[in-house]
Amino acid sequence: MNPFPIDLLLLSIATPLAAALIIAFGPSRKIAMILAYIGFSVPALVAIYLVGKFAGMPLHHGYAYFTSYDLGLAAWGIKLTLGLNGISLGLFALAGIVGFAAGFYAIQSGAERLRQYLLLLLVMQGGLMGVFASVDIFFFYFFHEFALIATFIMVGVWGGRDRNYAAMMMTIYLTLGAMLSLAGLIAIYWTSGAANFDLIALRDAIASQPLSEVVQKNIFGILMFGFGILVSLFPLHSWAPLGYGAAPSSAAMLHAGVLKKFGLYGLVQIALPLIPSGAAHWSHILAILALCNVVIIGFVTIAQTDLKQMIGYSSVMHMGYAFLGVAAMSALGAGGVVLMMIAHGLSVALLFLLSTSIHHRTQTFDMASMGGLAKQAPLLSALFVAAIFASIGLPGFANFWGELTIFVALWGFSKWMTIAAVAGIIISAIYGLRAAARIFFGPPTETFAKIAAENPVTDLRWSERVPAFVLLAALVLVGVWPKIVTTPLNAQLTGLSGMGDSPMSMAADAQNTGGSPVPPNPSRSAPAK
Amino acid sequence: MSPTHLALITLLVPLASAAIIALFLRRSGTLAQIISVTACAAYAAAALMLAFGGSRQLLKTTLPGYRDEAVNASFDWLSIGDFTLSLGIKFDDLAALMLVIVAIVGLCVHIFSIGYMRDDKARARYFGGLSIFMFSMTGIVLADNLFMMFIFWELVGFSSWLLINHYREKQFAADASKKAFIVNRVGDFGFLLGIIACYYVFGTTNLTEMSAKIAGGAAVATCIPLALFCGAVGKSAQFPLHVWLPDAMEGPTPVSALIHAATMVAAGIYMLCRIEPIFAAVPAALNVVMWAGVITALYAALCAITQSDIKKVLAYSTLSQLGYMVAAFGLGNIVKDVGMQPSGNGEMAPLFLIFGTGAAAAMFHLTTHAFFKALLFLGSGSVIAGCHHEQNIFKMGGLRRKMPITFITFTIGVLAIIGMPFLSGFFSKDSILYLAMHNNMAAFSILTLTAVLTAFYMVRMWKITFLGQSRSEEASHAKESSISMTTPLIVLALLAVGFVYVPVFYKAFLGVFDNVPLAQGTAHTIILITSIAVMLIGAGAALAFYKSAATDTLRDRIPGVFTILTHLKETPDRVYNYYVTKLQQRFALLLNFLDQFLIGGLIVRGLAGLTGFFGLGARALHVGSIHAYVYWFFIGVVLIWAFATGFLS
Repeated sequence: MNPFPIDLLLLSIATPLAAALIIAFGPSRKIAMILAYIGFSVPALVAIYLVGKFAGMPLHHGYAYFTSYDLGLAAWGIKLTLGLNGISLGLFALAGIVGFAAGFYAIQSGAERLRQYLLLLLVMQGGLMGVFASVDIFFFYFFHEFALIATFIMVGVWGGRDRNYAAMMMTIYLTLGAMLSLAGLIAIYWTSGAANFDLIALRDAIASQPLSEVVQKNIFGILMFGFGILVSLFPLHSWAPLGYGAAPSSAAMLHAGVLKKFGLYGLVQIALPLIPSGAAHWSHILAILALCNVVIIGFVTIAQTDLKQMIGYSSVMHMGYAFLGVAAMSALGAGGVVLMMIAHGLSVALLFLLSTSIHHRTQTFDMASMGGLAKQAPLLSALFVAAIFASIGLPGFANFWGELTIFVALWGFSKWMTIAAVAGIIISAIYGLRAAARIFFGPPTETFAKIAAENPVTDLRWSERVPAFVLLAALVLVGVWPKIVTTPLNAQLTGLSGMGDSPMSMAADAQNTGGSPVPPNPSRSAPAK
Repeated sequence: MSPTHLALITLLVPLASAAIIALFLRRSGTLAQIISVTACAAYAAAALMLAFGGSRQLLKTTLPGYRDEAVNASFDWLSIGDFTLSLGIKFDDLAALMLVIVAIVGLCVHIFSIGYMRDDKARARYFGGLSIFMFSMTGIVLADNLFMMFIFWELVGFSSWLLINHYREKQFAADASKKAFIVNRVGDFGFLLGIIACYYVFGTTNLTEMSAKIAGGAAVATCIPLALFCGAVGKSAQFPLHVWLPDAMEGPTPVSALIHAATMVAAGIYMLCRIEPIFAAVPAALNVVMWAGVITALYAALCAITQSDIKKVLAYSTLSQLGYMVAAFGLGNIVKDVGMQPSGNGEMAPLFLIFGTGAAAAMFHLTTHAFFKALLFLGSGSVIAGCHHEQNIFKMGGLRRKMPITFITFTIGVLAIIGMPFLSGFFSKDSILYLAMHNNMAAFSILTLTAVLTAFYMVRMWKITFLGQSRSEEASHAKESSISMTTPLIVLALLAVGFVYVPVFYKAFLGVFDNVPLAQGTAHTIILITSIAVMLIGAGAALAFYKSAATDTLRDRIPGVFTILTHLKETPDRVYNYYVTKLQQRFALLLNFLDQFLIGGLIVRGLAGLTGFFGLGARALHVGSIHAYVYWFFIGVVLIWAFATGFLS
């Protein structure tokens, strides 16, 4: 089964953390860089290997690669329980791949105090792998905090403009979000009467004795706002563009690309299956807020002239789609959320990476003082254009599948909401193509011509190419062959993986009893209108 | 090789070519060119073998569950829950016809490009773009369901963006490509909603299964065909989303011929014909479609009269002809009462038979138009190359002697589009006019007027460009183009001569052409006289009125009309510009302001103030002390809990 003598999931978490620990003892810069290469490569390789091996793995309550370690907290019902199911598999791989790209870029970035920077980034990477590998919700939360605190420090110390203010805003918002989420998770544990924090135990306890309607509604409300803050749900999103605008590029890549998905992952993996009635109750409010993300923030994105702010806002907008998938309350919707998370994680990381590359060449993030960069940097322009087309949902990139499945699922929930959400494809085309045109095409602006004359512009270096190609390859792979994600995902969502009740069938039942409109099954439904 | 293999070859060969060029040949233009042209030749061979190889049964009826294609391939590409998206091939006569058009025009354009793009620095990108376009277009042609069609629909939009943006250092090209993609997205917005609605209504978007369900009596809401039509309005540039097409002329001329005249812009009409049963079920929707087409046809013809750029004249003429096709589709079928037949309960009931369909008329015109318009565009490309990239017809003149092959082939193209008897445009235009006369006199009169205008502006352009004396340095030094450019012109000129290929096509694509409305008896005489009169009036007026001079005769002699027509052309662009710069941008700025100061500022500060009100150390908050966060947390919990429970009670 596992040809390696060690638990690979544990290895993927421990390697970056161990590398960070050694760097903390102050080895030379060169050794630190080597350690960082190891710390970022091992999780990526493990993730790719585990994705390849997933099909046909024996499942323990839906989880492959299942292991459990007692760290001495068993008395409190806490064990380090690791495993991957169809939902977490893709996100685990996302964390590995984006982590590799961000880490590789950071190692080559020549940042000030590089060792400390890499140390924090490695801590973040270890936390990210842990978040998606944890079956135990205590550790799920714990690893998230690990990564989050590292982010705050990186923004505050290595950030750009307004870094102190941005770091404070991020800390306030995200700590609040995280604590609300923690309250919600503890409440689930408390009310379910489960013996421990392990998700399987919680599911079993709730299956034997479902939580009451009122409890579910209260808990989902807390989780929705808690996770909502973490994922920049409207109107709790102000931290995101500000924070990403200031964050150093690798930290922005890892946070926007992976860590931010914690909240959505929690909703899909924990909240929807465990408290479906609560979700059904809140789904309309969630959907309306998410539509605000798409439409209002979409327009706000159009107004941005700063490249990084634009990417930050566009990321907030796309999270609206993901929340709409949650609100749709169906297996298709939940699947769409996972696809969207993976796709957005890869594309936004690529955009942040390339925006820094652009900054190196233009000395500015202000798109109004660029122009014509394609001439000097054709490869950079090709990659940026690819990333933009990916993020605006061109078929052939992963994002298309996320958007499409969410739109289809949403129609079953509400037709007018779907109309508003689909309008997002126009909005994103406007800001995306406008940005590409301003930066790369047409004649150069006077400002940029002056800068380019002083510092001759070169095309991408290898240290920029490698991470960009890795991210783009992953986007195209999922875009062309979505089954690599959807086959295990679908098995998990429709309950074929031998884990008793499927989360979504429970969600659908809850909706039937919860009084919300029933999503019509297309094959059976009557003609619309 | 089985038909399925051939179909997959047509799809995958251009994709492979594009991938190889993008990955390895970015700096080797010549190699990229060789690969792309070879791939296209292989593509054309496979497509012709497939289309003329009898690989499908020539049956028109679509019985429930009956699959009328010998090519049969369908793969589940993604399934989540009860949603499955599959990629499959539906290869009937309609698809075969479209595939042949794409293959022939595509190959001509590839070969023409060898000469036209000879000195271009970014040839690799150009030929890679052509390959990705061939792949995407083939996907639309072969798609067996609407989701798949949408995927490739978006991809042709991307290839169009890429190729319009070819001269990307030019601001115009950058703007035009952006505009094309965004305007298309507006249409796709409706298209995608229509597709999703179809999925929920029929439980599938498979073309064959949907037809079967409609034949079986499934009801169709009016909004569904209208939403789907939005896709065609965008892609086929119908009024009011036509604005992107004239701008798209910023792309290289062969691209205009292939994408913005012959194939991609016709994809909207092809798509409509693909889902004809959905429209047939809703007569009101067909009526909307017809008027959209009629208005576009007339409007674009009026705009074409004042253009001075040779490509812009052709662009507006394309719009006008696309309007013709859309109008033909919207005119619906010719249904005649042919007597009585016994019905189910023993009584006699009237028997109606279909004597020609709008879809067939539209496809017929699409076919003839693809060839003669590709000819005209490539001809204009030859002229432009000959005149060292001068595109203003008033700076040309006298090219008939300097570029004889271009002149003769271009003349054939002009004669075909204005409806000279025995050339291809004559037949297809007549069938549309007959259909209009039979079904809707108002549409008939407008389309007839459009035909007069078509003859008028085409002959105007032809006369100014080719006759008279050379009026510029460039034109007086013009030389005939190289053989790689003239050969495609000759091939396409042969295809513009109607009777060369119409019988062959008629037999091969009976499923389409058998339904073309053909006038008989008196109607035939009326149509024949009308169409010849129309051509003579339009062409004669232009020949008599215009001088092959350096200025526009209309502007000199009747400036009022010229001004009105210019305004007519510019108004939609002005309206859109006003919307984009004044409304959309200001709305975005306003929302941005609200977001920054109301949500980002006021709520956060408001909460801070609230904290102060409770005396929990607002000051600590502002200095960012860690204790403050704890207070924040408790405040937040209390507030949200109160909101949640209060909300719930």
